[in-house]
Amino acid sequence: MPDTFFDAHQRATVEAAMARIIPTDDTPGAREAGCIDFLERYLSGLGYIFAKPDGSGFETLEGRSAEAWMRRVTIMRQTYRSGIEELDARARAMDGVDFIALPPERQDAVLRAIETSGGDDAPSAPADQPALQQTSTEVELPFLPLLVTHTRQGFYADPIYGGNRNQAGWKTIGFPGPASLAEVHAGRYTTLPYFADGEAEKVKEFHDGL
Amino acid sequence: MASERRMSKPARTDAVIIGAGASGAAAAKVLCEAGVKVVALEKGPWRRKESFGGDELANINRYSLWPDPLLNPRTWRRDTSDEARVDLFCPVPQMVGGGTVHWQGWLPRFTPDDFRMRTVAGDLPGATLADWPITYDELEPYYLKVEWAFGVSGQAGANRFEGPRSGGYPCPPMPMSRYAQKFHQGCAALGWNAFPTPQAALSRPFNGRRATVVSAFAQQHGDPTGTRSSALNVFVPDAVATGNYDLRPDSYVRELVLDGQGNIRAAVYEDAQGETFEQEADIFILACGAVETARLLLLSRSGRFPNGLANGSDLVGRNATFHEYSAAVGTYDDPVYAWAGGGYVSASTFQHYGHDESRGFVSGSHVAVAGVGIPLPINWHLPGAPSWGAEAKKIDRDYFSHSLAVAMVLHDMPQHDNRVDLDDEVVDAWGLPVARVTLKPHRNDLDQGRYLIDRGADILQASGAKGITKVYADRVTGNCSHQHGTARMGKDPDASVLDRWCRAHEVANLYAVDGSPFPTGTGANPTLTIMANAWRVADRIIAERGRARTAPER
Ligand SMILES: Cc1cc2nc3c(=O)[nH]c(=O)nc-3n(C[C@H](O)[C@H](O)[C@H](O)COP(=O)(O)OP(=O)(O)OC[C@H]3O[C@@H](n4cnc5c(N)ncnc54)[C@H](O)[C@@H]3O)c2cc1C
Repeated sequence: MPDTFFDAHQRATVEAAMARIIPTDDTPGAREAGCIDFLERYLSGLGYIFAKPDGSGFETLEGRSAEAWMRRVTIMRQTYRSGIEELDARARAMDGVDFIALPPERQDAVLRAIETSGGDDAPSAPADQPALQQTSTEVELPFLPLLVTHTRQGFYADPIYGGNRNQAGWKTIGFPGPASLAEVHAGRYTTLPYFADGEAEKVKEFHDGL
Repeated sequence: MASERRMSKPARTDAVIIGAGASGAAAAKVLCEAGVKVVALEKGPWRRKESFGGDELANINRYSLWPDPLLNPRTWRRDTSDEARVDLFCPVPQMVGGGTVHWQGWLPRFTPDDFRMRTVAGDLPGATLADWPITYDELEPYYLKVEWAFGVSGQAGANRFEGPRSGGYPCPPMPMSRYAQKFHQGCAALGWNAFPTPQAALSRPFNGRRATVVSAFAQQHGDPTGTRSSALNVFVPDAVATGNYDLRPDSYVRELVLDGQGNIRAAVYEDAQGETFEQEADIFILACGAVETARLLLLSRSGRFPNGLANGSDLVGRNATFHEYSAAVGTYDDPVYAWAGGGYVSASTFQHYGHDESRGFVSGSHVAVAGVGIPLPINWHLPGAPSWGAEAKKIDRDYFSHSLAVAMVLHDMPQHDNRVDLDDEVVDAWGLPVARVTLKPHRNDLDQGRYLIDRGADILQASGAKGITKVYADRVTGNCSHQHGTARMGKDPDASVLDRWCRAHEVANLYAVDGSPFPTGTGANPTLTIMANAWRVADRIIAERGRARTAPER
């Protein structure tokens, strides 16, 4: 199963942009979490769309679902190809070099310029809206909101998808995610210890995992 | 496909139920246990619990459970002058178990006044408020039956505004989350009544099932352990155990066809291979969810019903209501871990539920506490925060465990022009016109929404929140996955589609048991009432059959 999509320049460009979306500070950022590998897998085809629920590998897509996903991946590949070109074009227009050659503040300026040029009609990232129970339709997003969405997914999705390396994303925000999908699948993963003081103790007899 | 469509005719049965979600599975359990032979036709797959997992990306962002919008689109427009655009309006999983497959399952009862809102509030201009043809007292025994079948965890009597109960809950409330604790503290400081939100989950072992594991992957995730309660892991196994339930997944009903007497003769459906079947039965029960039930009626046109089945009144699809989920979001110095238990092991208040003339708008709604957003990391987002950059990361880090939402389930008003009909351009992956939702908020919806969000902010403040952001709802977006009203029940055949037994006024062997019969949407999560009502209708169908069998031959 291929697990890459970008050429070397495209990869470096997207990785650099991701590193501005979730920057590295005293805690890991998109770069350390491997968000680029997450995205490469996603765009590589249909091999990494759904992990098997016990974490033992990935589902094989068939029929209508496979067709829908191929359509989606094809659209997103095109959004990325032209988005990367836009990053470089704006970087060259501003400072005469490719996006990856810019210092971080100038990269931010490029991203902000793209953001403000979006216009009012452009759908914004789900992350821009009060995310109260909305389902995502990311395929319709323009380049920057799509990149923001995928960076976030790569940082916080289960590590099986190639990002969130060593649970870097979860550790950064203090989410005690399961050691692996298998833990949830087997019913060993519980969040009762994060309930009010003493509550887990009260129901201990009903839970092997506590 | 170039090949000619073959039409197969499986053996005739007693009852066909279309849809195997909350209502369809509830009706199936009751009918099958009474010896009625049921064929259930369910559009989606029959997934076993082993196929579910703790995978936020797959479950929420990639449509492992939600309908894929490329295959099952809907469209939405504000009014008839507006152009309809593709929108995943009010999606609900399409598979055995329906919406209950990935819910947390807040199961409050409606109040006695919910059944007579027109009498209580009078005429609201622009709205089509109507009393229900049934009362709380009639439904009460069925509430209890569903609560006990599901093993609902709750505290009887704790909701001061609830109607009389003939029995308590089978399980005590779920353990107290830190976010529920904040909510209780806030309400107590304000002198408002609060209660543990009744949940479709087991606080302790019940009926041979073990206590709910309280994973973070709950709301919007399927349950690999079978310890939460859903139609899939309660009603479906009950029905299967009778030997009378022929559940056919991957069976998409395209049309209902009539016989010479104007009764329904058969449901026409397509299986996963694209083969078409005609299933005949004595009676047909629609349980597709209020949107798809209206769509299927409108797709079923005939000489007798040129505007759609049972639609002589032109009311099929109209008066649609959907609720709206919005919140005041608060941040705290101390951690509240509002993702624990999936963020919906909650506390509630009905303090602002009942109608109060002095507020200047009709009715109110259920207000309860939850996580922010989904609320796991990928889809967690503090309202107003930037979406990228150092500041965005800092907010994730500082507030992911320190924020919660006090949310409302807006009681939107029924309106004649708010409706579901068939889109004239967009078709689904099977080539059928999709449901088009035309929906404009009533002034009352906006006013009530602002009032409730403000009360949520009061609770936050009273519980010590240090930052508060109000997210007012400026339209009804369908984000609750609650749907009702598209085939109103009522006494008058000119003003309703179904009678008080949820049987079509115009078609003697047609019933609908999902949310479509609800004359008003009410301000509470609907599914306990949907299932209780389905049980009531199923009991009636059994009684009628018994009567027919014992009636003397003429
Ligand atoms: C994330 C989420 C959380 C929720 N939380 C709560 C909650 O806490 N409390 C609450 O009360 N409610 C909640 N709900 C809403 C609840 O799921 C619905 O109210 C409930 O499922 C409606 O039941 P139903 O039987 O009307 O329809 P559904 O459960 O939607 O079932 C309808 C079924 O019919 C099938 N179908 C449709 N058309 C056809 C056709 N033409 N042929 C064959 N089959 C068809 C569908 O595939 C589906 O499986 C939640 C919903 C979601 C999505």
